[in-house]
Amino acid sequence: MATTAPETKTVFAAEHDVPIPYMQRTRDYYQALGFSPYRWAHFVDVPFAPLRTPLARARVALITTAAPFQPEVGDQGPGAPYNAAAKFYKVYSVPAESMPDLRIAHVGYDRLHTSAEDISTYLPLARLKDAVAAGRIGALGPRLHGAPTNRSQRVTIEIDNPELLRRCREDGVDAAVLVPS
Amino acid sequence: MSLAARHLEDNGISTVIMGCAKDIVEHCGVPRFLFSDFPLGNSAGRPFDVGSQAETLELGLQLLERAPAARTTMQSPLRWSADASWKLDYLDLAKLTPEKVAERRKEFDVVKAVAKTKREAS
Repeated sequence: MATTAPETKTVFAAEHDVPIPYMQRTRDYYQALGFSPYRWAHFVDVPFAPLRTPLARARVALITTAAPFQPEVGDQGPGAPYNAAAKFYKVYSVPAESMPDLRIAHVGYDRLHTSAEDISTYLPLARLKDAVAAGRIGALGPRLHGAPTNRSQRVTIEIDNPELLRRCREDGVDAAVLVPS
Repeated sequence: MSLAARHLEDNGISTVIMGCAKDIVEHCGVPRFLFSDFPLGNSAGRPFDVGSQAETLELGLQLLERAPAARTTMQSPLRWSADASWKLDYLDLAKLTPEKVAERRKEFDVVKAVAKTKREAS
């Protein structure tokens, strides 16, 4: 709960009201379950490519970790339990023109406090189209691209990322909005 | 996703990540990151709240335009709820009995086996 700073009227936020320490929680959790700890990717240097085209003239890609709905692999609906069978292991692309049926039952989203009922909470395609219509963005790429949530960093780095880049180049995009789910 | 952003950026495509896991994305190191302090699964805004989704995207777009350098994180001012106790629940071991831990372990073994089969088939 919120508290008042000593001898002032200043209200401090609750101690726990900070971004969730996911790495620590995940480490502790899987250690308690008896599994070896996952090592997250970590770098000292970070690349930076300034946007060279004004956004109102830029073409923007949307990249998601959501998965195409696969009717044969069980429940992927709102609030569905974690469904590993709904995972995908190759980069995919779908036309950005209509709203694709993409789900997030294959990842560890917060099933207690949210339900993935509204696709626009994890796939901002409709909002990106609004931004194009308003002239805020020049255009969207013709396709949106799906990035596998592969636990193998080698596969992500050596196979998936070059493939995403190839597709973004094919689409002639200047920028990309990446939305992990 | 962080690795993908880095690779695109390395090759001249400007990127912004919109996400809810601040520590993981910042640990990796990415060019631009809009952090929403929301439960995982809501990187693009609140359910059925077009205003919050539009605001979230707009902040991401502003980062694309104006971030001065790599590792620029902006935290969205939007709140999931006035009460922050939802943050205590994610993978909270304190709520699990030893029996429950054993059960979760079995479940995770099953999940891993399913994922392995699927991965090898793809």
